[in-house]
Amino acid sequence: MKFTIDRYQKILIFIIAAYCAFVGFVNPAFFSITTVFDIIRTSSTSLIFAIGLLVVMISGGIDVSFMAIALFGSYTTINIMIAYGIDNLAFAVGLSIIFGAVLGLINASLINWLKLPPFIITLGTQNLFHGIMTTFVSDKSFGAGVLPPCLNQFGRATLFQIQTGSGTIGLSASILPVVFVALATWGLINFTMIGRGIVAVGNDEESARRIGFSPARIRYYVYVWSGILAGLTGIVYVAQINALYPNKLIGGELPIVAAVVIGGAKITGGDGKVFGAILGVLLIYLLNSTLILIGLSSSWNDLFIGSVLVASIATSSYQERIRNRKNLIFTD
Amino acid sequence: MTNSLKKKFFNDINFTILIGLLIAAIVLSAIFLPGGMFSAANIKSMAFQIPEFGFLALAMMLSNLIGGIDLSIISAANTIAIFTAFVLNGTWLPALPEEARIPAGLVVAILTALIFGVFNGLLISKTSAPSLIASLGTMILFQGIGMALTGGVSIGNIAFEFTDFGKAEWAGIPLIFWLFLGAAILLALLLEKTAFGRKFYLYGENKVAARFSGINNEKVCIATFVMTALLAGIAGLIVLSRVNSAKVGYGSSYLLQTIIVCVIGGISPNGGKGRVRGVFIAIVLMQLMSSAFTMLSLSPYTKKLIWGVVLILVLSLNHWIRNLNDSIKKEK
Repeated sequence: MKFTIDRYQKILIFIIAAYCAFVGFVNPAFFSITTVFDIIRTSSTSLIFAIGLLVVMISGGIDVSFMAIALFGSYTTINIMIAYGIDNLAFAVGLSIIFGAVLGLINASLINWLKLPPFIITLGTQNLFHGIMTTFVSDKSFGAGVLPPCLNQFGRATLFQIQTGSGTIGLSASILPVVFVALATWGLINFTMIGRGIVAVGNDEESARRIGFSPARIRYYVYVWSGILAGLTGIVYVAQINALYPNKLIGGELPIVAAVVIGGAKITGGDGKVFGAILGVLLIYLLNSTLILIGLSSSWNDLFIGSVLVASIATSSYQERIRNRKNLIFTD
Repeated sequence: MTNSLKKKFFNDINFTILIGLLIAAIVLSAIFLPGGMFSAANIKSMAFQIPEFGFLALAMMLSNLIGGIDLSIISAANTIAIFTAFVLNGTWLPALPEEARIPAGLVVAILTALIFGVFNGLLISKTSAPSLIASLGTMILFQGIGMALTGGVSIGNIAFEFTDFGKAEWAGIPLIFWLFLGAAILLALLLEKTAFGRKFYLYGENKVAARFSGINNEKVCIATFVMTALLAGIAGLIVLSRVNSAKVGYGSSYLLQTIIVCVIGGISPNGGKGRVRGVFIAIVLMQLMSSAFTMLSLSPYTKKLIWGVVLILVLSLNHWIRNLNDSIKKEK
């Protein structure tokens, strides 16, 4: 299978390019390698979250607990590391991923057992996980001095550095997990039997069952994968901000959902591209961070993002509906 | 037990359990919080607090009954309140005489609610977009409108006569509580005694069957979201009148609570099942719990844990009861 760019992604690329050109026209300072590196560094956590959510959405589900999982995984892991004086990045990532996988497993079990909309269940587990963490682990904040030094080293590490007029800037090492996760997820969806199953269940659960996929098992894979990626992102996030708070991340789920939807994931499941999700995050990120450069206050963020989101939902759902009606398929 | 009573008990086992829970909550809080919970002052303050949350819960109930969800209710409530506040404090239509501000404000509130509701309804019914994602888009959009207008600042300085309404009492009971009671009864009659209610429940239970029974699905859907927005608008006005100002982001924790109330009240998230009276009792139950939490001065984290546990627990309990009911029916 070749890496292809479909029509929807072309439109997204065009919008992003046009918007960048406009921002650069109003404020030439925007066009610099610093901006590019900055975007890569600050959007890296959102990118991994979005890719994890994309897999869930392709399977026809939704997950709003991934931020709570990321927080639970990283906060608990780092608490353990501080308590026992462990300073090892692999340990941090490994343990946080295990927490993430277990919490994802809980999500999948509840959804399989109760057979209710995943939104409501993951909304419950979001509060449950965060509540358990703050009640039974700890609810203290930790500053830079107490954290294991390996985290900050990773957060500040660069792959290579470039000399610019205003000093040296480097490409953050945070891009490594993003690239790894993107490639792994792309491979998972396109080249494995599990990936075929995820797409099949998302398209039509009953048909998928009849050709031999177990939707329940597919849901385990999907939510555990989302949990694993969330656990990883938690560590990347803490490494970047170099402090540990018990209340960060939570509440930022819906913009990620918006990004994945804008990125062209089919809302009812069965279709979605990793590259599309990346473009969706980039577009939201640009709208969020560059309005100031074109002279609008950041109060306008939501209006722009909301408009783009509604327009994208309306067009993609309407096209889907026309196609369905032509084939006499009625979904509502 | 007589046969008819037995039938009643098993036909609406959920409602029976709810009554039991309510009695248990009253007895428990009478034992553990004597004086505090059932003092005249606290009962009155609860009666003042129920309506703003209650209207939002009724709105969420309507959207759940048609098998969907409306995430935009809270941002719609806030933005409607902001529009109204702008009229009431004379920022908009400054030429209006003082005494005409309140009627003008109410007209603006109703118009805004209608526009929001019709927009949601059209988006969902005409493009077949899932209401979860569509209302996520409009949630960000409505919030964006409010944010762009206010910049996040709270809009106050409104006419005194309007704030008096939120404090007014009739027969010793807050006027807004009468309003809420009236709205709940009207809704119950509309859903259970009219032709529209029949169509509404059928549409929620099975949309395709409803379409082929000659029901105009799109009309029912738009009507539902218009009612949802009107209820949200009333909640917004109550907040405006009680808090004396309107602000983006007020009551964001209500989203989870409204969903919990609907689930406890016996509304099936898959649509078509549940009644207003169940939700009404659940709202009272919720207020009892909230008041008890405040009296015990629980931390927000502990509350989060409890809400999460309650939601998952009630969903599991409902599932278990449903299975039990099914097996009883099979034995017969």
